[in-house]
Formats: sequence, C-alpha cells, structure tokens
Amino acid sequence: MLRAETLFKTFGALQVTKGVSLEIPAGIRHAIIGPNGAGKTTLFNLLAGELAPDEGRILIDGQDVTAFAPDRRARRGLSRSFQKNNLFLSGTVRDNLVVADIVARGYGAHFWTRLSDNRRAHEKTAEIAEQVGLADLLDRGVSELSYGAQRQLEVGLALMPDPKVLLLDEPTSGMSPEETGRMLQLIDDLPRTLAVLLIEHDMDLVFSHADRITVLNYGEILMEGTPQEVRGSDIVQETYLGGKAH
Amino acid sequence: MRNLMSFRSTLAALTLIALLISWTNAGYFGMEILAEIAILALLAMSLDLLAGYTGLVSLGHAALFGCGAYAFAVFTAFWGWPPSLSMLAATLLTGLIALIVGSVVTRVQGIFFIMITLAIGEMGYELVFKTRALGGDDGLAGIPRLDLSAIGVDLNDPGVFALALILLVAVCYLLLKRLLASPYGAILVGLHDNAGRMRALGLPVQRYQTSIFAFSGAIAGFAGTLSAQHTMFISPQLLHWTTSGEVLVMGILGGLGTLVGPVIGAALITLLRHELSDLTDYWGLWLGVFLIIAVMGGKNGVVGWLEAGWNALTRRGETSKQSDRSKNDAAG
Amino acid sequence: MLTDSGFWFVQLLNSLQLSMLLFLLSVGLTVIFGLMNFVNLAHGSLYALGALFGYSIAQATGNMWLAFILAPVCVMAVGALIYVLIIDRMRKAGPMKQVLVTFGLIFVFLDAQRYFWGSDQLGVTSGIPFSGSFELFGEIYPSYRLFIICVGLLVFAALYLLLEHTRLGAEVRAGVDDPETASCLGVNVERTFFTVFLIGSALAGLAGVVAMPAFSAEAGMGVSILVPTLVVVVVGGLGSLKGAFAGSLLIGTTLTFGQVLIPSFASMLMYALLVAVLLIRPSGLFPARG
Repeated sequence: MLRAETLFKTFGALQVTKGVSLEIPAGIRHAIIGPNGAGKTTLFNLLAGELAPDEGRILIDGQDVTAFAPDRRARRGLSRSFQKNNLFLSGTVRDNLVVADIVARGYGAHFWTRLSDNRRAHEKTAEIAEQVGLADLLDRGVSELSYGAQRQLEVGLALMPDPKVLLLDEPTSGMSPEETGRMLQLIDDLPRTLAVLLIEHDMDLVFSHADRITVLNYGEILMEGTPQEVRGSDIVQETYLGGKAH
Repeated sequence: MRNLMSFRSTLAALTLIALLISWTNAGYFGMEILAEIAILALLAMSLDLLAGYTGLVSLGHAALFGCGAYAFAVFTAFWGWPPSLSMLAATLLTGLIALIVGSVVTRVQGIFFIMITLAIGEMGYELVFKTRALGGDDGLAGIPRLDLSAIGVDLNDPGVFALALILLVAVCYLLLKRLLASPYGAILVGLHDNAGRMRALGLPVQRYQTSIFAFSGAIAGFAGTLSAQHTMFISPQLLHWTTSGEVLVMGILGGLGTLVGPVIGAALITLLRHELSDLTDYWGLWLGVFLIIAVMGGKNGVVGWLEAGWNALTRRGETSKQSDRSKNDAAG
Repeated sequence: MLTDSGFWFVQLLNSLQLSMLLFLLSVGLTVIFGLMNFVNLAHGSLYALGALFGYSIAQATGNMWLAFILAPVCVMAVGALIYVLIIDRMRKAGPMKQVLVTFGLIFVFLDAQRYFWGSDQLGVTSGIPFSGSFELFGEIYPSYRLFIICVGLLVFAALYLLLEHTRLGAEVRAGVDDPETASCLGVNVERTFFTVFLIGSALAGLAGVVAMPAFSAEAGMGVSILVPTLVVVVVGGLGSLKGAFAGSLLIGTTLTFGQVLIPSFASMLMYALLVAVLLIRPSGLFPARG
C-alpha cells in the first residue's frame, strides 16, 4: 500500500536519511523505532510530503507520489497524526472533526449548503468520536481538553478521511497508562484494510502490537523484521535496546 | 452556545435598527454620514472575511476598493456605460484582479503576507496617482449614480441613497452569514486556525485562500463603486495603505471574525471622526488610542466586550465557554 | 545631461546617502523583528521624533552637535516608555496584536507631533556642521550629505563590532537564531530585548536628526519613510545586519536612480522589487535564520 524506495535526505552537511526503503502492505501495523536523532520524524515528513527527498521514490497504492505536495498525497489516501498536537484550537471537538470531514470528502467549495443540515457529516463525526473515545466531549472546546483527550483527537482527525495509509507519530506520547491502553486498543481495532506506520518510543508497546519493525539509526535501516526477530537481534540489543531499561 | 449565537444576531438586528432610527432623524449631513458608514461597513465586512475569518491580514484591501471606484468612474464618465452595467463590470474586474493578486500573495504567510499586500496595494496607488489620464492626484469627478427612476426610486436624493445603502448592508450581512455557515465558511475558519493541518488533511490551501481573496476583493470593489457614486468624486487616497489600515481598525475595534463587529466599528469610527473633528484637530490621536485600548483590552473589540458582559450576566453553573470563532463555525 | 559623469556621480552620492538613512532606520527594525518576532510599525515615528527633537534642541542651543547627541537620547527615552507601557505588556499576545498596537501608535505619534511642532516643515539654517559644498566633475555637492554617508558607515562598523565581539552581540545573535535555545542557555532574553529596542530607537532618532538639516523636519515624515524601511527589512532578510545594509543599498539605489530614469514610477520599482524578492527568496537576501 505504501512503498518507499531508497530515500535520501540531507540538511546541509548532515545526512539524515540514508537509503531507507519500506514496504507496508494493507493490514500491516509497521513500527519504526530508533534512538533520538535517528531520523524517524524526517522519514515521516518525507513520506507525508512535508519534505522532498533528494533521491528515491514514494508510492501510494502503486502510484508514484514523490513529487506530490502533502495535500495531494492526503487526497491519495495518506493520512497522518503529528507528534505535537496539531489541532484547530479555537473550535470544539465537533468543529475539528467536521472540518476534517469537509476536507476529506472534498466539499469545501460548497458555499450554498448549510453545514448544520449535513446529517452525513455529523454521523461520520459521531462515529469517529466514538472510535477515539471522545463521544462525550463532542461539544467541548479543544483548548479545554486534557492533553490525553487532545491526543485522541489528533488521531481522530487523521482517521477522518478513511485513509488507506495511516502514519502515526508517537500516538501515545505523554499519555497516562490508562489512556495509552485505550489508544492501543484503538490501533488494534483499526480496519485490516489499512496500512499503519507508527513511530513509537515505548518498546513494550511496539513489540506487542506491531506486525513488523524497522530499526533506524543515524538515518539508516539497522534491521527490519518481526518483533521476535528484532528482539533477538544482537546489533539492535547493542545499539539501541542495550542502553534502555525496557 | 445557542444563547450566544442569538446574542450576535440580536446585536446585528439592533445595529440595523439603530441605523434606521438615525436615518429617520437625519438631516442632509446625517444622510451623508449614514451613507459613508454603510459603504465602510461593507468594506470592513469584506476585510473581515479575509482577516478575521481566514486569518489573512491584508493592507492592500483599499487598493481593491479604489480599483472598483476608478473602474466605475472610467466606465461611466469616460466610456459612457450605464451605471448598472458599470457596477457589475467594475465588481467583476476587481474580483478578477484580486484573483490574480491573490494567487501570488497567498504564497507567503504571516507578516510577509501583510508586507506583500501592502506593496502591491501601494503599486496600485502609485499607478493611479501618477496616471494623468485617471486624473492623477487631482482625482476624478463627474461620476453619475445608478438611475432607478424606472421603479420610482431617486438615488440622487441623499436620504433615499442612504437608505438603499443601509438595506444593502443588511442584505450583504445576511448573505455572508449564510456563506459562513456553509462548509466553505468552516474551511475559512480552519485555515485561520491551522492552515498546516488543513494541508495535511488534504486541502489545497493556496487555492482556497486565493478564492476568498478574490471574493473579498470583489466585495471591496463593489463597495468602491458605491463610494464613487456616493461622493461622485474619487481620489487616489482611496487606494492608500493607510485607508486599508483604517478599515482594519474598524474591524478590530468592532470585533474581527464576528461579521457584525466591522459594521459597528465602521459606524463608531465614522461617527467619532465627524464628532471629534469638530472638537479637536487631533482626530488621529484618538483613533490611535481607541485602537491601542481595543487591542490591549484583550477582548475581541466591542462585540467581544458586549459578549463578555452578557456572559457575566447570564452565567449559570457550568455554562461552557466557547471560543469566539467556534461559535461562528457552528452558526446557522 | 544623462551622459554627464558628474551628474551620475552626484546621483550615486545621493543614493548612498538615502541608503545610509534607510540603513540607520532599518537596522533597528530588523534586529527587533528578528529577535522579538514583531514589527514595530511606529519605528518611522521615532525617526520623525528624532528630527523634531533635533530641531528643537538646535533652535534652543544653536548647537547642532548637541542635537546629534541629545536627540537620539530623547528618542531612546520615548522608546523605553513605549516598551514598558505597551510592548512589554503585549509580549504574550502574539505578533499580530503587537503589530496592530504599534499601528495605533503611528496615529498617536503623528498627531502628538503635530500638536507640539505643528504641521509645517521645520529646518535649521545656522550652526550646521559641514555646511559647505565641494565640486566634483563640475557639479556642486553639499558636504553635509557626505557626512550622512559617513555616519551610516560608522554605525554599520560599530554595530558589526558590537554584534561580533561583545556579550550583548552574542546574546542577540543567539536570540535571533533560536530564541528558545538562547533562553535555555541562560541568556536573559527580556533584558536583551529591552536593550536592543533602546538601541534601535536611538538609531531611528539618530537617522532623523541627521536627516533634518538636509531635508527639514515635519510631523508626517515618519509615515512616508516607514514603507521603504519595511521594504528594506523584508528584502534584506529579517534580523540580519548584513541584510539591512545590503537591502538599504539596493532600495536606496533603486529609488534614487528610478527617480532619474522613470520619474513617475520610482516607488513602483521598489514595490516590484519587494514582490519579486518575496516570491523568489521569501526569507530575503541575507536572512539571519537559515
């Protein structure tokens, strides 16, 4: 569903992505791990189109999208959440989800209909709110939400377009254990037609919920494999897991 | 929340009633002032669409206003077109120019957007100022008004003209309110709030920003055709960036992103200017002080203050506060 | 006339002199912009204030040198007042609101200046240093204008040394580069802001008082100089000394020679330049932040 072929990216003299290739079929939950500065977020930005790679190709569902801007990739079925909450702070939860629905279904140019009459949009909004556990908070202002609830909305926005490929950038960062549990359940329950790529710090989480794992270090792929393979790998133990308490 | 929505609509209705009451009491000069208020209200509302709702603060808006006025003057006074056709053509022409300008200026953001709109607006000002054929710094005179005598309306009567303009503002307000309650309106607010996330969700951001720039510009051009008919004389000052600034001040003083705020701001500033300029030569000083107080007061202009007061009066237990723009978002 | 080398040399000097005035104005604005991320639209008013203070001081004492020194100090005091009363309180309100407040200040300053100094053009006629003139390629050129050029160059050199070789300079560079990191590294950001704002105000005042003997002083002069100054800041690149200098030269030259070659559309040329730079290099010619 999502394919990256030998991506390279340099900032000045710093090579932050060195020949990274990924292949994520539909239904797979694929995690990227690696120490800070390994180039995880840069890789995400390359995939989402916020950055242009120096070399390499990116394909969504077989189509080359390397030259596409972020909005055009999004319209091809790629959706992402952000590491730092990136919401519409002046609105309510409902406003946020509705505006995402408008963008996702492409009826933003409709200036003649009343938004409040659009029952389908409100049904979809309610459905996603239910899915991310915000059903009771629909009319709450986003800036008043707890950090964890904002995090849930962050993922909710990314789910709104019914994407083919979902990029989740540390979806559970800063969450309480209880909230983390709910978020994991959510990720587990995502339809199996979806290709999911997630960056995650929490190793336990990665090993128990991902189907495949890519380990990045200094912009390079150290190894890729199933959680068992990665856990068993000596290099990974040495360069990454060794220093950690996990 | 519903409470506050109807509060804003009530405020709009009260503003209209206040304008109509002053119309019934106004003498000749009163009519002139009311007409001026109506035109500036229209212009300020169009800037509110751009600055208040979409977050694109333009200091080149007056140039589009002037463009409409000059186009109307050229079409009628030079080419002898009928005023009705000239109004339509001038509005469309301004909209087209705004479309082209908008597709360029929306490539930059924030403070750079202010600068580039200022620069392009000043280019327009210089062009008119230096073009002898357009009267240069002397301006143009001899502009006719729309002839509605066929339906028994004489727009050359100051009272009739003022009333027509007030009603036009009311109609425009309702149309724009409706527009803002549409999916398109929600997109505008979303762009103001977080254009980056809109892009990530799949919105071609620049295209939408350009569209509202063009639409808002067309309304400004339309207001310009009315201004040319009102004073029957136009000068390059209409296009100057300080005119944009003054209209922006009207919006801020009244409350940006509220639609009714700019109308109130236009009325207040115009009235104060006429009242205070009798008392003092230093009108600008007061304008500046009002602006500083309005911005530093932390509330969203007059509308913000009134809403805060209303909230305080009606507060019950756990009435949840909503932020300003979300109310608009769900309006209608 | 257009093939006369003396004429062109005079134009070159004129453009240099305008460039240096623009530099004195824009350097303060650009560093404040780069450091505090807001545009002080009232910066031009401080320029007018410098000229007007200078006029009054020169009238009262008959000593222009005293005016050169005292006027910037007075303007700096006004700058301090604005900072404490308004800008400091607006620090958390976001750049847009700060811009709007300083926009209001333009109106206040303009009328306050009209109130105290009237609306007429004011000029001093006696006691001006370098009031002679010299001849070059058959053209008479007033020496005072060379003095303006020298002041600009001296300030550029002084600011360069200040930025590169003092602790304040290092703090400013760090702050422009990355405000968050700078404050983490123990830079007292608030104090740096204040100092830079004062220096910027004083330089605007200096530009005003230095320009006054050549162009006379009037209340509206701050508004008309503001736009070219902002253009310099954006074209040169935010927060950069080099950018302010290069931008000033570019805009000063464009305006002066545009005036000669296409008299009607000199300022249009400047705006066209701004639009071109914004579209091709949105961060300006020499941005301080990479």
